[in-house]
Amino acid sequence: MTQIPLLNNIKLYLDDKPSVYGLRQKAKQALKKTNYPTTKTEAWKYTNIKPILSSNLLVNTEEHKCSCNCCYHNKDSSKVEITFCNGKLHIEEYNLPKGLNIIPLPEVLHEGEYKQYLLNSFNLEEHPFAALNGVYLEQGICIYAEKATKISQPIYIKYKQSDCSENQINIHNLIILEKEAQLEIIELFNSENENKYLTNIVNEIYLKPDSQLHHYKKQTESKNSYHIALNSVKIQKKASYKQYYLANGAKICRQETNIQLEQTRAQAEIYSAYTAKKGCLNDITSNINHLQPETHSNQYAKAVLESDSAAVFQGKIHIAPSAVKTEGHQLHKALYLNDNAELNCKPELEIFADDVKCSHGASCGEIDKEQLFYLTSRGISKTDAIKMLTQAHLNEIIALIPNKEIQEEFSL
Amino acid sequence: MTTPLLEIKNLHARVADKEIIKDLNLTINSGEVHAIMGPNGAGKSSLSYVLSGKEGYTVTSGSITFKGQDLLSMSTEERARNGLFLSMQYPIEIPGVMVSSFLKQSLNSILKHRGEKELDTITFMKRLKQEAAQLNISPEMLKRFVNVGFSGGEKKRFETLQMALLKPDFCILDEIDSGLDIDALKTVSDGVNSLRSKENAFLVITHYQRLLDHIEPDIVHIFADGHIIKSGNKSLATELEQSGYTDFLKEE
Repeated sequence: MTQIPLLNNIKLYLDDKPSVYGLRQKAKQALKKTNYPTTKTEAWKYTNIKPILSSNLLVNTEEHKCSCNCCYHNKDSSKVEITFCNGKLHIEEYNLPKGLNIIPLPEVLHEGEYKQYLLNSFNLEEHPFAALNGVYLEQGICIYAEKATKISQPIYIKYKQSDCSENQINIHNLIILEKEAQLEIIELFNSENENKYLTNIVNEIYLKPDSQLHHYKKQTESKNSYHIALNSVKIQKKASYKQYYLANGAKICRQETNIQLEQTRAQAEIYSAYTAKKGCLNDITSNINHLQPETHSNQYAKAVLESDSAAVFQGKIHIAPSAVKTEGHQLHKALYLNDNAELNCKPELEIFADDVKCSHGASCGEIDKEQLFYLTSRGISKTDAIKMLTQAHLNEIIALIPNKEIQEEFSL
Repeated sequence: MTTPLLEIKNLHARVADKEIIKDLNLTINSGEVHAIMGPNGAGKSSLSYVLSGKEGYTVTSGSITFKGQDLLSMSTEERARNGLFLSMQYPIEIPGVMVSSFLKQSLNSILKHRGEKELDTITFMKRLKQEAAQLNISPEMLKRFVNVGFSGGEKKRFETLQMALLKPDFCILDEIDSGLDIDALKTVSDGVNSLRSKENAFLVITHYQRLLDHIEPDIVHIFADGHIIKSGNKSLATELEQSGYTDFLKEE
């Protein structure tokens, strides 16, 4: 039998619990059945993952939790901060507001109250990296907001990669908002050096009726690393999900967002600002399923392509026969700084219902020469002027962020 | 004799295949205000772009010396840092770039080049607000994106604000009167006049004598077909206004 890349023969914490082991085995069977995609697989046509598969990246099993001192932060602050240090959850006591629960994944796996939500929002066979993530289900956090819990302070999840060379980091988070709950979550991925490793993250998000989640993500990982992420979101009646995404790190980055608008008047919005740096590939893929009437989705992405880079934008909007009076919009604008860059932009609209409003659009262009002249004629160097105009291109997305504190975090 | 601030000698320049400046000679000393008047398409704006080093405007022969240095060997940003400023006829909109951060970057680039200390945000904002108030520019305007949604008058006041802040030695005002009503024209002219000194000079490009009632020139040049055909004092502008360009050019 052929060897499946990235599968290490290791023993994990809780492998002795049959139910946990069973969940991991289920993911392993799915991965073995489908194996990894190639560029012949439609959904991965433009993103070649061979470099990831040919790297012998190992799961670090030395510890199942982090107890280092470097992650310490000010306990008195009103901020809720969760830290993953080289992929291991930093265990600490959280000073939590009423109605908010934060539970490390092993406890979820063990005790079972929210276990039913795990590996349940997507099809493992369609997401090989999420299946790989499932094989090593151990690290992660469950954020659970009780009914009508409204928290105005964002919850920070920090992923600090410093000492993880040649490792694969699998993290699986569960985010559940009960009826009318409102939450803001900000994920920050950052490396302290230029190590080679894989971050493979899955967020399963369940939004109950009338709940609202603002989900922010900033990815600035090492330029030699790989970053594969899946946000799988199920949205119920009148609930709303807004994602704001900024990414300019990693050698190969793929952010996939799958959204099920599964009850009437569910809403989703995705705003992305991403940069493909020199020698890197940055991929945004989304699948939005409108399953019921009067559901609404909107996507706006802006890309910057440096020289010798590639960007991929795949956006699929599917409107089921029953989803009448729905709206789905999608817009992508790219700016390339050099002719030697590749942009693959693939919108897909599958509409099976009448009486719907749908649109998609894409544009790409170079730095505006008149704007460049104006800035340099005021003494600003050409390099700085190009930086300003590139930032200006992305600023349109950043300006949409409603939380000023996070807007500032994203402007850096 | 002191070195002229700007000396243009036998200048020829082209855009693509078209010759736009044909054997131009012009000397401007510190403390002087020169006006250039001429019909549409004479090459007046092209001259301002050649002076500021815009891409696509190629000098084929001749020389330009600025403060004793070869201007043509400098990039656009080096010319600006050395004290040349072009107030543009149509200032371009730059969505996503804030007025205040643009001006701070610009001023600090110039201060750094002069060997002066760069300004921190607080000192800079204080100075910016002072200068803006002089030109009736509201603090709200400073929070907007560069030229985005500015009225014609606001755009020209913003160009004048940049001059006040950057303190260039030589300013080219390319039709600073276009798109202005009488009140805005007065604000902008007063702003320009307050910047005049023995150390700097202005080149005012315009179609109309009206502007020259507000910004009084020392010398007026008539510009046609890529070069200066006649120079004189302020009365030349009045003469031109009465006869019109067509008759005036016929007589020459």
